[in-house]
Amino acid sequence: MRAGLLAPGLLLLVFCSGCQRKPSERVDPTKLKLFQPLPAVAAGAAGPPSEELIALGRMLYYDPRLSKSQKISCNSCHDLSKYGVDNEPTSEGHKGQKGDRNSPSVYNAALQFAQFWDGRATDVEEQAKGPILNPVEMAMPSDKLVLAVLKSIPEYVEAFRRAFPNDKDPITMDNVARAIGAFERKLLTPARWDKFLAGDEQALTPQEKAGLNVFLDSGCQACHSGVLLGGDMFQVLGVMKPYPDQSDPGRYRVTQKESDRMVFKVPPLRNVEKTGPYFHNGKVATLEQAVEEMADYQLGKRLSRREVEYIVAFLKSLTGELPKDYIKAPELPKSTPRTPPPDLSD
Amino acid sequence: MFKWVLAGVAVLLVAMQFFQPDRSNPPADPQGTYEAMAKPDAELAAALRRACYDCHSNETRWPWYSRVAPVSWLLANHVREGRGHLNFSEWGRYSPQAARRRLEEACEEVREGKMPLRSYLFLHPEARLTPKEANLICQAVR
Repeated sequence: MRAGLLAPGLLLLVFCSGCQRKPSERVDPTKLKLFQPLPAVAAGAAGPPSEELIALGRMLYYDPRLSKSQKISCNSCHDLSKYGVDNEPTSEGHKGQKGDRNSPSVYNAALQFAQFWDGRATDVEEQAKGPILNPVEMAMPSDKLVLAVLKSIPEYVEAFRRAFPNDKDPITMDNVARAIGAFERKLLTPARWDKFLAGDEQALTPQEKAGLNVFLDSGCQACHSGVLLGGDMFQVLGVMKPYPDQSDPGRYRVTQKESDRMVFKVPPLRNVEKTGPYFHNGKVATLEQAVEEMADYQLGKRLSRREVEYIVAFLKSLTGELPKDYIKAPELPKSTPRTPPPDLSD
Repeated sequence: MFKWVLAGVAVLLVAMQFFQPDRSNPPADPQGTYEAMAKPDAELAAALRRACYDCHSNETRWPWYSRVAPVSWLLANHVREGRGHLNFSEWGRYSPQAARRRLEEACEEVREGKMPLRSYLFLHPEARLTPKEANLICQAVR
């Protein structure tokens, strides 16, 4: 008799574990306070950049002559036609050397509170200098060589003069970084999500709204909120349980403080659909896996496949439009006999 | 039969004690705490310490029962979760916007009586916040 009752009970239990309640497609507007839409421009401390400065920044961004081999430009790893990434786990730099962290997107990056995975640069201007001189990236041996290349090209001399009219000697490393930073400050990708935040309820599909509710109910917004749904705080990777790959200590490399071990900048989620593979090591291939692992390591939650699908559906609503005209590759000025030649040595 | 079940449970409870969770209080940068950075007045600082710090800082006062499984597992998990969400010892990790959001959320939770948790207040009645203290937390947002 008991066994007779137990069997249907067990069957019901098994059945019901697979039938979860459908998440609500109505979004509580008070929860949207955690998020803000993209601004029109990510203004820096210097105020809105001039057109001349942006035009110079665009040329420098695309110019491989800022690398030792003269083959690698900013755009090589942060491809503007591919949402500002190269979709590689880690990028190939000078003579095929691999960096040790995944290349983050440059889109919307200027709105972050810090740059690089470990936050070692405060803004895009400071960030721009890093890869040019990094021996495994663009590998220029010194500022001097960068400036020598630029000074050897009359069009650049003129472009710097126009972009920095008050500077006596405008071709400096700081000005190179200012120009690239100015160009990057307008690399913004407004998405349907922004329309939704502005009050257009139809901008998100019912499934995406349900996904937003799953995202919020799971607690993802604890780190992924604000304008970029991330990019405004550091967090330990492995809040709830140690992250298996401990080879990169994160921000500890910058501060040498024990409290910063395995601490990374929380990456923004805008365009996340397009910017895989994921995490600082680029070891996570799919967005589904990234959501699953984040929930597990950061929130201590094992999400069901359906919950993951809902969250991913919401995340896809964050994919914005690329500013196609703005990112059009410019015609680069020709080298002259005075231009230092490419160097393919180590 | 009952005796065997009881013995089994006892053995299980003893075995559980061999699996102790991490109850450490991680090191924090003294310059990066909420108190160092926001410099709250003494009354607010004391209220936060009394009502929030056990779960939302690296200065958890682990009670004796945090050593007894399975309570130890639940508590350790709960503290990790609390620190992940809001950590007064790691204030320097937040941008001004992220810090503000945390205070806004704390204000709401405290005003609505969701925090401190009822289960926590049951064991720590001294953690109950007065309306004045709750107001101080909300004023801290500004």
